[in-house]
Amino acid sequence: MSVVFRLPAYLGVGLVYLYRYTLGVLFPGGCKYHPSCSQYAIDALREYGLVRGVILAGWRLLRCNPWSLGGVDYPRQQRLFK
Amino acid sequence: MILFSPLSPLEDLLRNVLEWFHGTVGLPWAWAIVAVTVCVRLLMVPLAVKQIHSMQAMQAHMPEMKSIQQRFKHDKQKRNEELMRFYRDNNVNPAAPCLPLLVQFPVFIALYLVLRQFSRHPPGGDLSWFGSLVPDITAHANAHWSGYLLLAIYVGSQLASTYFMSTTMDKTQRTMMMVLPIAFVPVLVNFPVGLVIYWVTTNLWTVGQGLVTRRLVPKKAPPAPKRSSRTPPKEVAAESKDGADAKPADEKPVAPAQPRRVKRKKKARR
Repeated sequence: MSVVFRLPAYLGVGLVYLYRYTLGVLFPGGCKYHPSCSQYAIDALREYGLVRGVILAGWRLLRCNPWSLGGVDYPRQQRLFK
Repeated sequence: MILFSPLSPLEDLLRNVLEWFHGTVGLPWAWAIVAVTVCVRLLMVPLAVKQIHSMQAMQAHMPEMKSIQQRFKHDKQKRNEELMRFYRDNNVNPAAPCLPLLVQFPVFIALYLVLRQFSRHPPGGDLSWFGSLVPDITAHANAHWSGYLLLAIYVGSQLASTYFMSTTMDKTQRTMMMVLPIAFVPVLVNFPVGLVIYWVTTNLWTVGQGLVTRRLVPKKAPPAPKRSSRTPPKEVAAESKDGADAKPADEKPVAPAQPRRVKRKKKARR
């Protein structure tokens, strides 16, 4: 993919980093998964582009709830987009 | 403005809650903010209880976790993977989930919007905190010396709460999380004092919760009796000639001293 097409995804990655160094610091917490939700979002955006990346990251956030067991979960293990 | 417009129902809701605390309960605005913050955290208490249970259950698996940490000492990623897999298999994940954290953001942003509205159109009533100490909670933190005092308290409480919250993070990340709040101060001076009150309250709540967790967790340390048999063997050896019955009777009176023993073990391990 050319850089131009990837630009929106990079923008998303930038936003996640922005979150990490601002709100993420003001509201500290952990994550039940490895990699953490923010890292998952960054990886998903890089691998699948903005739209699918955002959907994957959103789905992951919903799964990172008090009733989930957590565990190891990489974006490439996803089964939403094949 | 356009960016925040989806949040205006939330702003209205928060404003109504604040007005209820101010008008019906009769709290000054600053204490109404504290009350709202406490309510949000109270809603999240069941979550903390769940985490405490998980941490207690984890105590039983300490030796296995230590061995995983030893085995993958130099491979951070593999270590985290194995630890997470272990948590999952044993259903003892001690980390906080991300989703409830997100619930706090809208409340926070709504509070910011309400306070901004208040500074434009003062709502009437007492806008100070602790009498004349903090004259106006809608003003920026740098408008009065007490704002700086509050920010200092904020930084302290933030560091303490990070210390308790980020137990599962690696060291570099933790250090970063400890340094950044100090770097934020120049930005935070432009925030309304009321928001700083919210932060201080929620951080202090986290610290209190962390202290309670600390207190509760080492109590249930199943491997403790096994190891603490280091000291009592003389008595046990002397008294247990007649068999196993003597042992449990002997153990019971020692039980209250258990937390202290756990501490000593920690020191010895270091």
